[in-house]
Amino acid sequence: MRAEITTTVPDTVEELIGDFEVEGDIPWIVIVWNDPVNLMNYVVYVFQKLFGYSREKATRLMYQVHNEGKAVVVAGTREKCEVDVARLHAHGLWATMQHDR
Amino acid sequence: MIRARRFERAKDGQLVVRLHPEEVALLRRLADELQELLDKRGAADGPAEGDNEGDEAVLSRLFPRAYLDPTEEQAEQEWQRFSSPDLVALRVAALRNLVDSLPATERRDGRVEGKLDEEHEAAWVGVLNDARLAIGTRLGVTEDDDYTARGPDDPSYLAWQVYAWLTDLQADLIDVLLGGLPRAGTDS
Repeated sequence: MRAEITTTVPDTVEELIGDFEVEGDIPWIVIVWNDPVNLMNYVVYVFQKLFGYSREKATRLMYQVHNEGKAVVVAGTREKCEVDVARLHAHGLWATMQHDR
Repeated sequence: MIRARRFERAKDGQLVVRLHPEEVALLRRLADELQELLDKRGAADGPAEGDNEGDEAVLSRLFPRAYLDPTEEQAEQEWQRFSSPDLVALRVAALRNLVDSLPATERRDGRVEGKLDEEHEAAWVGVLNDARLAIGTRLGVTEDDDYTARGPDDPSYLAWQVYAWLTDLQADLIDVLLGGLPRAGTDS
């Protein structure tokens, strides 16, 4: 949420859309899907390392992926989620992103 | 029987790794195979073009889509264009770092020992997982697979043996690394 009111006219459409996304509800989520190869303790390790989650939260998310097939692990702007998906892929986790609806 | 530790955190913060020479040779071979696979990805402009279906399946697993929604195809293409070269480069660098840090100092117990700095450590984590993803995808591993039940007459017997060994090695490594992470996080 922006704290100050600005009267500057946006230069580009991207700037206008960018402001809209920041001011709206968090519109994107990152989902990690279950896969038969990644080890449980490895998935906990990746969640802790990438997102700074506690052991408890990382373990809870790992079990959600394992038992329910998927879990929302992080949310934010499209740009942030695109970066987080790439970080998860770099660690071999099967992650995708979508609108939170 | 208590198995000798393969990974141990030294007082200076570095990770000590002790393996049998045969294990080191196997890691070197697996790194070579992954490099060959990544060369195919790096050379391909756009979708991965493996020599065979197995390569394609592995490359799709190592480099999945970010967007499942087909109406986001344009965003997917842009995301691939921006992130794919980095993701390939990261994996290539990890392979090089792993090979550079393979243990070589001979010990009296017949194993060889080496020390990993932070960068090497991250490389080992990444390559061990990529190797398991590659072999596991080729074998079509499922969560219920009992690979110990497969006999030497199984045509994939050796691949299953390597997969089981890698799984064990990775579990050892992650145990040590998890032990070094704080239990508390920033999520309150």
